[in-house]
Amino acid sequence: MKQSNRIGGRIFIGLTFLFLYLPIFLLIIFSFNAGDSSAVWKGFSLEWYRALFQNRLIMESLYTTLLVSLLATAIATAAGTFAAIGLYSLGRRKRDALLVVNDIPMMNADIVTGVSLCLFFVAFFQGWGAFARWFNGVQGVVELPERLVLGFGTMLLAHIAFNIPYVILNVAPRLRQMDKNLVDAAQDLGCTWMQAFWKVILPEIKPGIVSGALIAFTMSIDDFVISYFTAGSSTSTLAMRIYSMTKKRITPEVNAVSTLLFLSVLVLLVLNNVREVRQERRAQRQDVRPPSFFEKLSMRLSSPAWKWARRGLAGAMACAFVVLTVLLTGATSSQPVVNVCSWGENIDEELITRFEDETGIRVNYQTAESNETLYSLLKSGGADYDVIVPSDYMISQLMEEGMLEELDYSRIPNFALIDQRFRNLPYDPENKYTVPYAWGTLGLIYNTSMVDGEIDSWGALYDDQYAGDVLLIGNSRDALGVALLYLGYSVNTTDEGEIREAFDLVADAGRRGVFQGKVMDEVFQKMEGGNAAIATYYAGDYLSMLDNNEDLAYVIPKEGANWFVDAMCVLKDAPHYDEAMEWINFIASTDANLANMDYIWYASPNTEALERYPAYYQENSEDGEPLDLELYEIMAPPAEVLERCEMYTVLPPETRTLYNDLWIRLGT
Amino acid sequence: MRNKRGWFAVPYVIWMALFVVVPIVIMAVYAVTTADPATGELQLTGSNFTGMGAYLSVFLRSFWLAVVATLVCLLIGYPVSYWMAKEGPRFQRVAMALIMLPMWMNFLLRTYSWMSILENNGLLNQLFRAIGLLDLLGVDHIQMIGTPGAVVLGMVYNYLPFMILPIYSVIVKLDNSLIEAARDLGADGARVFTKVIFPLSLPGILSGVTMVFVPSVSTFAISRLLGGGTQMMLGDLIEQQFLGGAYNPHLGAAISMVMMVIVVLCMVVMNHFGEGEEQAVML
Repeated sequence: MKQSNRIGGRIFIGLTFLFLYLPIFLLIIFSFNAGDSSAVWKGFSLEWYRALFQNRLIMESLYTTLLVSLLATAIATAAGTFAAIGLYSLGRRKRDALLVVNDIPMMNADIVTGVSLCLFFVAFFQGWGAFARWFNGVQGVVELPERLVLGFGTMLLAHIAFNIPYVILNVAPRLRQMDKNLVDAAQDLGCTWMQAFWKVILPEIKPGIVSGALIAFTMSIDDFVISYFTAGSSTSTLAMRIYSMTKKRITPEVNAVSTLLFLSVLVLLVLNNVREVRQERRAQRQDVRPPSFFEKLSMRLSSPAWKWARRGLAGAMACAFVVLTVLLTGATSSQPVVNVCSWGENIDEELITRFEDETGIRVNYQTAESNETLYSLLKSGGADYDVIVPSDYMISQLMEEGMLEELDYSRIPNFALIDQRFRNLPYDPENKYTVPYAWGTLGLIYNTSMVDGEIDSWGALYDDQYAGDVLLIGNSRDALGVALLYLGYSVNTTDEGEIREAFDLVADAGRRGVFQGKVMDEVFQKMEGGNAAIATYYAGDYLSMLDNNEDLAYVIPKEGANWFVDAMCVLKDAPHYDEAMEWINFIASTDANLANMDYIWYASPNTEALERYPAYYQENSEDGEPLDLELYEIMAPPAEVLERCEMYTVLPPETRTLYNDLWIRLGT
Repeated sequence: MRNKRGWFAVPYVIWMALFVVVPIVIMAVYAVTTADPATGELQLTGSNFTGMGAYLSVFLRSFWLAVVATLVCLLIGYPVSYWMAKEGPRFQRVAMALIMLPMWMNFLLRTYSWMSILENNGLLNQLFRAIGLLDLLGVDHIQMIGTPGAVVLGMVYNYLPFMILPIYSVIVKLDNSLIEAARDLGADGARVFTKVIFPLSLPGILSGVTMVFVPSVSTFAISRLLGGGTQMMLGDLIEQQFLGGAYNPHLGAAISMVMMVIVVLCMVVMNHFGEGEEQAVML
């Protein structure tokens, strides 16, 4: 019976490991896929590894992840050990009280820790800003930076904060087990406390320190939530990068980077295992190993005669660390930078490289999911952008709240190329804040192979016939706007009854299981892969999807739709105003607009680019095939189509609160 | 070293005050105030809490899914730990390493690996199609992504090691003579387990349950990636208020506070069961 039990146990353990590792192996296999799908095998290739090493964003985030994990582990281990020794020198009552506080970050959900730290940093920055302004006002010798933002530093502090408790938790039992008389004995025999620490305490608690450091590192490298809330917009760990990628088209580069990570950890583990086995064998044979070079060195260094050398070395290392940090930050900040935030899949990335080569300005290109998330980012103090590309109604809202800076049009000569139709629009009547970037319509996309007949009404979104195959658009303005259109109301209504009626329409469809999900840029993979049949999305993105799935169709339903303009604006007090002007001027040029149009399939507001695009397309297509004018009309719809469409205007604050409120409720 | 090195703790006390206590106080302040839309001034209000009833379904779903995930983890994790502890040291070491290994890859990568498996056109559905299961059922695909089951699966997959590690570390240290004594006194296998082994491994179970339940109840990435935005959980609700599509940090802070209090209450109740037992240390 015992034997069978044992076999059963092994089988169970084996199945558990299969469950743990099968997904990882699939991930690894598909990193060698020739196609860009994670589900359809198209043959072997190393293409994605090549692409990975050329992907600056992923490589940078990998570097950030490793750096923050290693630094946080090192600092937290030292500080935690130090603190644990301190705690154990305190009286029992004090120690227990402090250990309860020490447990808080471990007991708390990550998201609570992340959110509370984010609020703390932002509150601190506000206080600091007030102080710095006052300080810079009363004296002119030292100039303090007035504007601090979330970034690598705050993320590192957060990591240290959640790592220290784990180190203490691991070191504390070792200290408790240690015979306290040992230290007294060592000191009675003439050791200084320092020597007693190195020779008596440290060897005793070393296993605790090692396992503490290991756990701290594991927690750091595995963390996503706390980094997400404390890193701000300009710093990304690998996890954050992947999270933002899953919202768009995720490419097998992610599989490649996972594979490399997995293999390197595996190699480390195997090496460690081999080492441990060897040590054990040696211990069994009980041979005494001669002290290694480092052990001899540390023994020599800990003798009192070397006190000054020790202190000098520590000082030199501290100086070197400070100098290195300053140099590193200096090296990265001396190059001019511009921080741009746009939407996913919204630029031909070669334009970024071209701009960097021409001007020597480094572009830090970030994306936001929707106008609403962009607003949250800006408000929560985590964003460090210069140029943003919001849509019409959000521009009005940002202007209302005084968050935009006026542009210096004398430095944007290419503004002259912008078509009259796209100047002085209602959101910026005097055109003081914006340069249009792209425009288009919001329409209904459906997969003709999954839907019988043609669709010409928004009603399809709420139709039981398509239950489970409809994707609801993931932002409140578009989702409720479309429902309002279907009900025959204006998208800009402020009538609470009408808005609630639209909400009920959507919520009811949700309850009946019509929606498969609530998506923004996830729509690409869902629609292209045939994972959903109907979606609401933007014309330009439809054309991108069409490239990958010919069955998709786009309509502007008979109830009408929304048309929008996305425009570049500069945030108030943007730290890189001059570089921002250069970027805007570059993007407004005809060349950039043509390249962008060809890549993102959104219509350009540039007159020349609009005229020249059909010819440009033909020149650049592989077999000189002319542009399909029907598609061009979807991209840049003629006046009669735009007449059926309504532009969003900014809603009053009460209506916005209502929208937010209803929107959150939709998910519940 | 007694009492002489007490000042070693001072920097850490200051650090904790700054990075643990103050942030929670700030969060509490946010929770009981609201910003005037016109002036941005803070006003004291209880409306963040009173209006929370509308999200009852989110609270219920979060706690329900987290409880299910924790139970599944326990049902898988306990036998694995138990049988692992019975193996030789070599086996144990390798098994421990294998359990830890995925954690060094970051949990988002692990969750992502399930996305491509569970999609409607994903690997699992392709497999079902290839073996004719879909034709048999007469459906085009089996809906897996976007269901509560997918979210629970993601939680179990990600947090199972957190259940195994503490239970294993307690069981492996169990005093074998206790088990032998029980046997000598006539207990059969089942009784030894229920009367000796299980009660003694309770501290490990408690800390495992904590370590699985807390991240599960508050997750937002797993429900977002595998739940397709339809399985909103508390974490999503909070994230939406801070960095998502409905900016209202005051409400977000209030929800965080409530969640924190409920979780702490759960922990207190649970630790009451394991009275006097010390939290098992990981590894």
